[in-house]
Amino acid sequence: MIKVENVKKDFKKVVKDQGVKGSIKSLFNRKYEIVHAVDDISFNVDKGEILGFIGANGAGKSTTIKMLTGILTPTEGNVEINGKIPTKNRKEYVKEIGVVFGQRTQLWWDLPLVETFSVLKEIYNVDDDAFKKRMCFLNEVLELDAFIKSPVRTLSLGQRMRADLAASMIHSPKVLFLDEPTIGLDVAVKNNIRQAITQINEQEDTTIILTTHDLNDIETLCQRIVMIDKGKLIYDGTLANMKGQFGNFREVNMSLENSDEIDKLNFLDTFKLKKKDISINKTKEKVSISFNQDKLSIADMLEYLLKNTNIKDISVNDVNIEEIVCRMYGKEVSVND
Amino acid sequence: MTKLKKILKIYKPFTKAGLQSAMAYRTNFTFFVIGESLYCFVLYFIWKAVFASGGSNTFMGFSITDITVYVFLSNIVKFLIDTDSTVSMAEEIKDGSIIMRMIKPVNIDHSLLTFELGNKIMMIFCIFLPVMLGLEIYRYVILGKIAFNIFSFLLFSLSVVLGYLLSFYLNLIFGYLAFFLLNIWGFSILKGAILNFLSGATIPLAFFPGAVRAVLEQLPFASLVYAPTMIYMGKLSTNQILFTLLKQIIWLIVFVLISDFIWIKAQKRLEVQGG
Repeated sequence: MIKVENVKKDFKKVVKDQGVKGSIKSLFNRKYEIVHAVDDISFNVDKGEILGFIGANGAGKSTTIKMLTGILTPTEGNVEINGKIPTKNRKEYVKEIGVVFGQRTQLWWDLPLVETFSVLKEIYNVDDDAFKKRMCFLNEVLELDAFIKSPVRTLSLGQRMRADLAASMIHSPKVLFLDEPTIGLDVAVKNNIRQAITQINEQEDTTIILTTHDLNDIETLCQRIVMIDKGKLIYDGTLANMKGQFGNFREVNMSLENSDEIDKLNFLDTFKLKKKDISINKTKEKVSISFNQDKLSIADMLEYLLKNTNIKDISVNDVNIEEIVCRMYGKEVSVND
Repeated sequence: MTKLKKILKIYKPFTKAGLQSAMAYRTNFTFFVIGESLYCFVLYFIWKAVFASGGSNTFMGFSITDITVYVFLSNIVKFLIDTDSTVSMAEEIKDGSIIMRMIKPVNIDHSLLTFELGNKIMMIFCIFLPVMLGLEIYRYVILGKIAFNIFSFLLFSLSVVLGYLLSFYLNLIFGYLAFFLLNIWGFSILKGAILNFLSGATIPLAFFPGAVRAVLEQLPFASLVYAPTMIYMGKLSTNQILFTLLKQIIWLIVFVLISDFIWIKAQKRLEVQGG
């Protein structure tokens, strides 16, 4: 359904020295720097799949989405979606896709919400019956009824996001691009939106690409994830696999008589660990150690701690996916390992 | 024909939405009208003083009645052909919201244009028609006969439509500059001043010295305000009218082509800022 091959996107950036002097200097002598926003990315998505696209801020997620939706032209490489090249014949291509940019809106700001839908109906040339059915369906999953007659500018963020999602699907697109669809929303609305996405995916076999910073979105929605960092693809596979590959970590949380006791311990030499297998976080009240349990068993760890420190309280926890991702972003886990 | 019908069907909602948006900001609109009317009266009194001090009844073929009609008519035309396309386009490029237009199966320029038409419809009914009626009454009172000519009015309307389209594309081209400059505030102020002067909205081009006037009349700016106003006032012969309309059409084609060309180039340069 979606084929992305060796896609690159470079931006030219003006380099300026600091301050007024720098600004004046750059008026006469412009220096450019090439930024590789997306650097040689390839992946495929099958029909009906929900792909989670994750990465830190500035990793190149949005740039990639913009290339997939035909807004930006790749510097190099090919994108093919449903047999079409997005930047060629944009008008024909966008009829088949739906897009939500969580930080922007496609709704008509000054008009009642329902007007936006009728505008979209004409733009996409949806016939009356299909439109009625569609609105019924969207109303049901996204609960638009309560505010469908209000001007868009009066909607709350949660309402607006639901409306935006509905607007992106009015023409039953084959592919849906959701760029941070849950940004800034409360838990209830997030759940509502996730349910809607799942339902649409199941009922219509819509292919969905989703970017998000909320890893609960990923856990509930995506079978597969692609992770990029600094424009490069660093992971492509299932969530479970990622947890297995990077996440066999456990975390020990404890309070000690004196937190400084932990400094005296030498895990690296005692257990012959590498630096990346363990990290220690110390505050006045608490110490937390996360470690790779393939290299060091929990029993050994606890025994060692009990013997060498005065523990007031201790607990062992699973490391959640957010921390795995942090770890990857922080480059503490090397992928080539 | 069916293709045209389809296009109209797609863009009709834009016009409707534009009209509704314009109505949502009625108060804004009212104050705008009051402000602009004041400006017209200021111009009118200035010209009156000029004529009074000149001691002559006509100046370069314009009587005081002519200049009064010119002041109000040219300003009405100025509103009708005025367009936000520079600012809208530049803003959308600057804040990146142009991408919301690009993900829809519509032409960027057509969607902007048809949206603005909604605003124009409101303007025609709320300002244009009342002022035209007022001007005709004024002419009737002064001249003692009905000066209205339906034929001139139709040619005038055609000329205004061409002038508006020309103005839209000219301004759109300025808007596209934002792709290269990212902030075009200074440019658009300069552009406004030049347009006001060269289009005849401030001073009739007929008042300029012969050579300057001959050049100015050929420039695209004259097609914006001066041409339709002169047609309505019956200052041009039939041949001159046809020539004027032809000029407008040629300039319009030139500007549409330039704007299409820039859009194709600019699209490749598009760097969406933020988000």
